[in-house]
Amino acid sequence: MTSTAPKTELDIARDKEQTLAGALRRAGRVLVGFSGGVDSAYLACVAVDALGAANVLAVIGVSASYPAEQWATAREVARLIGLTVVEVRTDELGDPNYTANPANRCYFCKTELWSRLRPIARAHGFDVIVDGTNADDVADYRPGAAAAREHDVRSPLAAAGLTKREIRELSRGRGLPTWSQPSSPCLSSRIPYGTPVTTARLAQVESAERALRALGIGGDLRVRHHGELARVELSSDELARWLDAGRLAALTGALRQAGFARVALDLRGFRSGSLNILEGIVAA
Amino acid sequence: MSTASFEQALAALGVGARVEARGGLALLFVLDVVPLADAPLRACVLAAGVDHGFTHVAVELDSGDAALHRD
Repeated sequence: MTSTAPKTELDIARDKEQTLAGALRRAGRVLVGFSGGVDSAYLACVAVDALGAANVLAVIGVSASYPAEQWATAREVARLIGLTVVEVRTDELGDPNYTANPANRCYFCKTELWSRLRPIARAHGFDVIVDGTNADDVADYRPGAAAAREHDVRSPLAAAGLTKREIRELSRGRGLPTWSQPSSPCLSSRIPYGTPVTTARLAQVESAERALRALGIGGDLRVRHHGELARVELSSDELARWLDAGRLAALTGALRQAGFARVALDLRGFRSGSLNILEGIVAA
Repeated sequence: MSTASFEQALAALGVGARVEARGGLALLFVLDVVPLADAPLRACVLAAGVDHGFTHVAVELDSGDAALHRD
């Protein structure tokens, strides 16, 4: 009688990676909706391994909804992986359905993105478009997923059951610099639903977060835009560090410089989907 | 949501604060934010916030003495 050691979490994640690689091989050639974030970078890396770089095309949708630094990171990650990259401008800010900032705002953004990517896929001979939705995202409030379904965009990470934690661990094993990168949803996620998304508000949030990063704040960071008030969410480590009389003036000054008259520090710190909780869309 | 009873609950925790409600967000105006660096105290403040109907509790920075006055 033989006994086998129980699988470790990493073994389980590697099994899922094999499932992912198999799904990508069956797809043949894939166009990856690429942001250079944790999920799409890992997906693109596995795709290049499974299919060869010639059979993977990464497309970056560039707009004011994301901080400029993100695109620089995305290009650098693509270079490291050996990806061919195409950049396309998206114009979700030209869509009044998006700028009205309803609770399903992401649906309109993703509709714009995927409708721009489909012709690019066709022009380059790619039948299959994939995105970096992971298994955790499926359980979250994600109205953008409906747009992906409508545009026949596949989510192979989610299909393989890969969670964010597993993706980070597998990314680390592959030497991807994104493994420890904080999640980076679009800047519109800092603006409460019902408050119109404008380039001015997005720029204000971008400027505020950049200023806080320049102060040395690491990890998850969000500046939530409540009109004249900036509500700052920090990681728990950073929160304890910044609740210090000697440091707060710098933090407040940076945010005033970005145009906020009032500054508040959230005592729970960073929460993914914080504004969804505030609006009662998801439970606390 | 009752700002007055939340203020009383905060006072019982040793946190003298005025509270401004913005929907589910409670904004605390305190003279000194530094005691809130203590994680157990912060957890108690957050729990009290939830008890009073607030999903979010934030402390206003640089609010100064005037912030503690109601008028």
